[in-house]
Amino acid sequence: MKVLIGSVLGGLVVVLIALLAFGVLPATSLKLVEGYMPMQMLVELAGSVAIFATVSYMLSQGGIQLPRFWQGILFWAYILLYLKFRVYPPIPFSVRAMYGTVSLIAVFMWVSSNEEDWKKFKQPIMNVLDANTGFHKGLRTVYLVLLPILLWGFSYSSFLPNLDEPVELRTVHPAPPASTKVHGKTFVLQTSQNPYRVNPEGKYDQEYSNARIVEQAMGRLMKPDANPWDEKAEGYLKYVREGGEIFFQNCHFCHGDNLNGRGLHAFAFNPIPANFTDPGTIAQLQETFIFWRVSKGGIGLPNEGFPWASVMPPWEQHLTTDEIWKVILFEYWHTGYYPRTWD
Amino acid sequence: MRHVTSKVLLIAIAALGITMVSGSAGVSSFAQEGSGVPEGFKKGELAPLPSAEMIEAGKRVYFTKCVWCHGVDGAGDGPAADRLWPRPRNFNQGTFKIRRTASGELPLFDAKKAVEAENDLFATVTHGLPGSAMPSWEGILTEEQRLQVLSFVTTQLIKDRKFDDKATETQTVLQLDEMKPIPVSKESLEKGAQLIVDKKCIECHGVTGRGDGNAFNLKDDWGFAIQPANWHKCWNFRGSRQDPYNIKNIFRTFSTGVSGTPMPSFADNTTVEERWHIANFVNSLCERDPEGNPLPIDPLTDKPKVNFVIRSGPVLEGEISDDPENEMWQKRERRIVLFGGQITHKPRNFVNRIDDVWVRSLYNDKNIVFLFQWDDRSKSVAEGKLPWQPTEVNVENYGVKEQAPKTGEGDSIAAQQSKYAVYNDAFAFQFPVKWQELPAPIKPRYLWGDQKYPVDIVKWEANGTIKAFTGTGWDQDFQDRDDYTEKLKVLKQEWKDGRWTLMISRPIKEDYDEDTYFEMGKYIPTVFFAWDGHNGDAGRKMAVSAFYYTVLEPPIPRETYIYPTLIAIGVVLLEGWVLTRRANKKKGKV
Repeated sequence: MKVLIGSVLGGLVVVLIALLAFGVLPATSLKLVEGYMPMQMLVELAGSVAIFATVSYMLSQGGIQLPRFWQGILFWAYILLYLKFRVYPPIPFSVRAMYGTVSLIAVFMWVSSNEEDWKKFKQPIMNVLDANTGFHKGLRTVYLVLLPILLWGFSYSSFLPNLDEPVELRTVHPAPPASTKVHGKTFVLQTSQNPYRVNPEGKYDQEYSNARIVEQAMGRLMKPDANPWDEKAEGYLKYVREGGEIFFQNCHFCHGDNLNGRGLHAFAFNPIPANFTDPGTIAQLQETFIFWRVSKGGIGLPNEGFPWASVMPPWEQHLTTDEIWKVILFEYWHTGYYPRTWD
Repeated sequence: MRHVTSKVLLIAIAALGITMVSGSAGVSSFAQEGSGVPEGFKKGELAPLPSAEMIEAGKRVYFTKCVWCHGVDGAGDGPAADRLWPRPRNFNQGTFKIRRTASGELPLFDAKKAVEAENDLFATVTHGLPGSAMPSWEGILTEEQRLQVLSFVTTQLIKDRKFDDKATETQTVLQLDEMKPIPVSKESLEKGAQLIVDKKCIECHGVTGRGDGNAFNLKDDWGFAIQPANWHKCWNFRGSRQDPYNIKNIFRTFSTGVSGTPMPSFADNTTVEERWHIANFVNSLCERDPEGNPLPIDPLTDKPKVNFVIRSGPVLEGEISDDPENEMWQKRERRIVLFGGQITHKPRNFVNRIDDVWVRSLYNDKNIVFLFQWDDRSKSVAEGKLPWQPTEVNVENYGVKEQAPKTGEGDSIAAQQSKYAVYNDAFAFQFPVKWQELPAPIKPRYLWGDQKYPVDIVKWEANGTIKAFTGTGWDQDFQDRDDYTEKLKVLKQEWKDGRWTLMISRPIKEDYDEDTYFEMGKYIPTVFFAWDGHNGDAGRKMAVSAFYYTVLEPPIPRETYIYPTLIAIGVVLLEGWVLTRRANKKKGKV
């Protein structure tokens, strides 16, 4: 039953790939899309498992039994290739090695789940060791010669002085201070509010503003009736436009036209500037946290945040307090995220 | 505006003329017989206008994403515009740079076709214009949304022309996908090299193609300064379509010209064959790795991939050559360091004309030598004495100002280019003083250190001076270190055809308390700085890199050979043991 479901699923995936290959579906649907990538990858991995099940089911129906040994090897190789070539942005070798080891163990557990399977798995190895046929004999000789040579090469390259870039892990959102002093005024992070997040009565109102941010669908477009560039735009939306103007005169150089951290100068940085469209940045933070980060910049970070790795200026040197609040208002509007609240 | 229409008229007359002449006498060698169409082009149909729904939907996209640079009326005057160079496109005239249509014509646009080959504007929005602030919108806007916004732009914001006006508009389309490039060969490259001289490409692009020809007198249709492309950095080609080493892109640009700029179309005075030779040659100039393969391009940034480690190679015996052509330098791996503008502290540098430098390094028992090579369209040496001291960093008081955010077109950064006071080209690099004592990964502030962690700065200027300083903060004047300055040596400084070559030697070990003390195999944080004197760069207005690491490659130790050999021997023994055991076991069974 399980095999049947698997093969139906796998069949579907095969059809899907065929459609893509012959251009019935647009080729771009194969691309990993920012923000949707983890889901896409999970679907793909599930699809791959289904394909494997289908292929081996169909082969066994057709009377060709792929040896368990090769099944295991193929599956493992597939995982390694997927990690190396499909996942984007590329993950470092050390992480890949970790995933590789885990999946190797998983494959081992699979092939040795019962005595019979284990026997089937190791049979090809034993055949080569025993060398009862001419072919196996040849194979054994090749292995015996190649193995020391390969290991020599491998250990030689690992003994060569390794001068790769050192891996440095920083805390992206370090704990903020309790309060911050900007332009002579002290802001308590737990109680301060964005003075421009207001409803038509001029009261702080998150619900009002949250109803007017861009839509969380592909493209993240503004709501048709909430255009900050409308001549009649007043209050919140007008402040969003003013914040946008400041953003595009100061911030987009690094954080990008789409607030995704790919601005004009972004390529020169390491790490590249923060991507606000990523659900892991401003969507996870309180507005006052952003206010503190913007005002104090990279220099203002505590040590675990690697202040030296950030060129973010302390914007209090360039902008007024009001301008900073407006930029923050704009950033939430443009990405379609709600600022987190303290409770 | 008038300029554009008159151009169109001229082309129409020219086309008419060619048709008549070729019809009667058949003398036109470049046009296809009788058609009046340049070789490689075909007449196309004007696409129908987009539907009202598409336009309305596009307005929503435009006012969410595009208005910030291109402005409410599409005049390229959004809030970002005055600090951008190149300035955002003014849509009103309908002038677009990257097209498959003949010079002067509107680009291909069909709101029903999300196909790049039949839709120039769609391709531009999809891939962006590398080297400018226009990003790739692929993966951000859906194909439908991209077509929608273009429907809005082409019908509402292009004011001087109409895409479906049969009376004034024609479409003559370069048949790029049907053409077969001429394979790269020695002959083709030689012909291309000759053609770029014959066709006067080098007048603007320079004799080696670094864009250093007529670099400071060029203006676009709106009067903004414009620079010829640097053929060695194909990833910055606006028309690269994120595929910079594809010669079809060069062929296209050369065939259709870049509208609104001094770059003309060469369709009428070159054959298709000649254009392929030129494309092959221009493409061959783009930077490549030592094996001659294209550099890997990072799709996130459209720039070459960066490795943040600069490896300095050992020279075991003798002196380090001061000739970059010497074998020891040629064999040495070079690494690219990318620059952004210094946009952290006033005066911010929104436009950095130097965006990368290639670095090589060698060391021996006494010195470490750096070889820097970077492209700079002009050699800049200030006339007379500069008003500030070499140690001064706060030069805002001397007129080195950052661009104001809202100036209007006339005083925008794009209009100001080529008008700056000329200062010295300069280059500098810094290491933390006593980096050995910094617990990794702590580093000083990238911009000239801080009070707690001072940095050791070496700065060279194009007037031939080199000096050693201590930096203690972005706004703190440098401290002179004359005793160390004496030990620095400029082994070579040369500006030739748009490229600086600079070789600097400094001691490996000096006074530990003040100078960087280089040790083999250790990661020494390094930051690079470059000033372009013609960009008005001075003080904090400059180009700057991220933190890189300088590592002195240790000579390969003997253990590297011994241990693997021991391991290999061990494996052979192990194999013997397994085989004997297996054999014995089988014997026992039998």
